[in-house]
Amino acid sequence: MSKRLEIYLEEISHYLGISKEKQEITAEIKSHILEKTEQEYGEITDITIERIIETYGSPRQVAEKYMDDYQIIAPTFKGHLLRYTMILFIFHFGLTVISLIFKTSMLIFPFFFIPKIDSLQSLFYLPMTFVFDLGLVGIILYFVTQRGKDIKLPWPKLNLNWQKMASRRLEKPKIILLILMLIGYTALVYVYMRYQTLFFKSLNFKGVESLFNPEASKWYSLALLSFLGIGILAYIVKFFARPEWVNLLRSALQLVILGIVINRPIDNPFLEFIYLDLQITANIIIAIVATLIAIDFLKSLIILGRKSLMKKTFS
Amino acid sequence: MAIDISPFATEMNRGFLQVLVLVLLEKNMYGYSMIKQLETRGYKVEENTLYPMLRRLEKKGLIKSKWDVSKDRPRKFYVITKDGRAVRAKLLKIWQQQNEILNHLLKENQNV
Repeated sequence: MSKRLEIYLEEISHYLGISKEKQEITAEIKSHILEKTEQEYGEITDITIERIIETYGSPRQVAEKYMDDYQIIAPTFKGHLLRYTMILFIFHFGLTVISLIFKTSMLIFPFFFIPKIDSLQSLFYLPMTFVFDLGLVGIILYFVTQRGKDIKLPWPKLNLNWQKMASRRLEKPKIILLILMLIGYTALVYVYMRYQTLFFKSLNFKGVESLFNPEASKWYSLALLSFLGIGILAYIVKFFARPEWVNLLRSALQLVILGIVINRPIDNPFLEFIYLDLQITANIIIAIVATLIAIDFLKSLIILGRKSLMKKTFS
Repeated sequence: MAIDISPFATEMNRGFLQVLVLVLLEKNMYGYSMIKQLETRGYKVEENTLYPMLRRLEKKGLIKSKWDVSKDRPRKFYVITKDGRAVRAKLLKIWQQQNEILNHLLKENQNV
């Protein structure tokens, strides 16, 4: 057999992958090419075979024609791939935030294992979980597709009206609200400048008493001021920039601040041994705030994703 | 700007070629001879379209194949099966109905 034909058939066989029929397919193609070469050129040489191969198509194209009816995931399940992945990722995201706050690892059999990580590590961990979730859903849908039966998979309604949500979040910022925010913020800065804390144990006529020791007071008050400051700054930027990007950036920065607060605790922050479970209460509050911001972050991400998808679809 | 009709033509030809092959395979034929036979009747078909289609029809039991190794070069011959004939009859009926609908509509358009 011509060396050129041998290479050509080998390449087709390579692209056919694990197909059980590839020997039969390549035998069929070989027979056809030899027949055509002889009929059209009267002799079978490397040159004449080369000419026929050129008209037959590239090995990949040829192999793909045999795989037309082979699907990894049925088109009817493609929507499920994204929706299921998103639901799984929301769980993963939430559990990661909780494990970050409580500084613990978590195992929810069989799919969720969140190791004990810090906020910086979580930045690398979360994209990895997304890929894992996508892969896991992909594998399940692959097996469902290969079974070939009419399986009706549940289609969880997320009750999210994207257009409404997007339009609400795109509303123009209001100047009155901004003024109120600035007044409130100035008041907080004033309180901090005067008492060096924003967290009080008691307020009475004799004076104020901070909840934390001086170092912790400064640390947590500045963290709170930065957290609120980012919110106000983001609100101002919305007057000039695209709100969806501003929301995304704001949530991300606020999550970073919460991460720093959680990961850099001060030993014995309280002035005296008063409320033993105050630390747990604080952790729960931070967990709730972090979860809300995380949800906001995901919403912004989804809105941006859908907008870019719609742009591509309708452009 | 002229519109490229090839994607539409490919889509249309896919179904037509199936019927054509089922009609053609009333007698034993091998791939190359089928292509030549169709070419002489003015219908050009790419070999890398025909062979995968023959494979699909065979998998569904509408045609069967056999390698002939009696000559110096092995050839794979195809022929229609009993099931293939039954399917062909139904497909031809659909095709005739479609033709009638189309002709009817075209006539109506002419009268507008």
